[in-house]
Amino acid sequence: MSVAGPLALAASNSLGALAGAASAAAPAASDAVVPAIGSIDPWLVGDPVDWWFVLRNVDYLGGGLALTVGLTVASILLGFLVGFPAGAVEVYGDGPAKRLVETVGVVLRGTPIVVILLVMYFVIGVPQVNLGIGSISPAISAGILGLGLRSAAYQSQIFRASLASVDDGQLEAGRAVGLSRFEAIRYVVVPQALRRSIPGFQNEFTIVLKDTSIVFAIGLAELLTRGYDLFTEQTTAVLEVILFISAIYFVLTFTTNRALDYLGTRYAIPEGESA
Amino acid sequence: MSDDAFLRVSEVSKWYGDEQVLDGVSFEMDRGDVTVLIGPSGSGKSTMLRCVNRLAEAQEGSITLDGEEVLSPDTDVDELRRDVGMVFQSFNLFAHLTATGNVALGPRRVLGLSEEEARDRAAAQLERVGLADQLDSYPAELSGGQQQRVGIARALAMEPKLMLFDEPTSALDPELIGEVLEVMRALVDEGMTMLVVTHEMSFARAVADEVVFLDDGRVVERGPPEQLFERPEKERTGRFLERIASHD
Repeated sequence: MSVAGPLALAASNSLGALAGAASAAAPAASDAVVPAIGSIDPWLVGDPVDWWFVLRNVDYLGGGLALTVGLTVASILLGFLVGFPAGAVEVYGDGPAKRLVETVGVVLRGTPIVVILLVMYFVIGVPQVNLGIGSISPAISAGILGLGLRSAAYQSQIFRASLASVDDGQLEAGRAVGLSRFEAIRYVVVPQALRRSIPGFQNEFTIVLKDTSIVFAIGLAELLTRGYDLFTEQTTAVLEVILFISAIYFVLTFTTNRALDYLGTRYAIPEGESA
Repeated sequence: MSDDAFLRVSEVSKWYGDEQVLDGVSFEMDRGDVTVLIGPSGSGKSTMLRCVNRLAEAQEGSITLDGEEVLSPDTDVDELRRDVGMVFQSFNLFAHLTATGNVALGPRRVLGLSEEEARDRAAAQLERVGLADQLDSYPAELSGGQQQRVGIARALAMEPKLMLFDEPTSALDPELIGEVLEVMRALVDEGMTMLVVTHEMSFARAVADEVVFLDDGRVVERGPPEQLFERPEKERTGRFLERIASHD
């Protein structure tokens, strides 16, 4: 592995190609940029020393993983609890309530997540939250609030679309048997809309999971940030650390997406040949 | 008909924006009567039907059901609809529920029956429309005729005082119409009060106590089927019936 990370990797590659064509000039140039280039194959990722370094720090990465998972779960949950009613208000509401929800949604979706997090942490200054058994630091609360509200803004659009996609005749038939408007939405429209939300929700879940890394902006060290800490400490292990972390992200996204697929299949509305 | 008519529609008018779709429509029904609304498309017959359970709002006139004013702002529409069953042209079965689930939802959530009571009632109603073998089928697994029969069972499960049928066979393939009309005939025999919008003239002729011909939002002519079909008084009625007959 090269010494100075991805930039040096790219440099040594192009210089290597140059070296084939003009062998005299290349070594001198690469010496100047990356001192150790001659002895290390940049594509060698199997160096036991570097893998051992990753394994020795598994508990450090595990702490980051816990934060990543915690932030994701809390943010998705908050996003659902706020986003679902918001989507319903956009479909069924009217007047000021609807306009307010739409406006807040547009602002949240139009603001970079880093800015949202910085505002939550430094401007609004979310306080520490005591839960009895423990407390959530201001940075973590700000992270959950920022990621959660932004997710709510996106989830509201997933649910808005799926609620609106249910045929009006369904609501009308519910009203016709005497259900109130709220009951007809609750028992007839929502169960169908939730099923149709699953594909969009899978996307949103995956995006939130990966975007949790942006909480580094307010000083939190989740999985990716901790990985960054590691390979700046042992610079020969960049690829090993990144591969290891990517594998964790992959397992997380793969299993949750499969779980949601299962949910989608389990609750799929049977379709017959005749209609 | 008498002053204590079960359903009395008088001088009902409705506009969609500037367009008048109902213009002073009046008719009455006694308990157990079958009234059939006929007329060309756009004549306002479906809208008239929907005004009775207030899926559409009439702006003028009066509708009384069993002595209660339907159009009053004080009327609890949910309570009204408990007593008035509705069958839709496009079935509108709840797509995510089985036949049993479709029929049981109203009894469970509106009448407050227990889950078990609601399912028992649903099973009984589905048996009544000849679908005892399809209790657990989803709408998409059923033929159009079967779906419409579930739709009828769903309305019957609320034990309504009045049943509204909005072109119940118009969306069906011809070979499936018979099974739905058969169920409706059985309801007539049981004495159900029914207000039916349909193009099935032979059905109207066979079961209606009164046929109301609507055109342009107005009642052109009404009377017993034998009179209206055989000796229509108005020229427009005759022309409409001829047009319909030539397509039979």
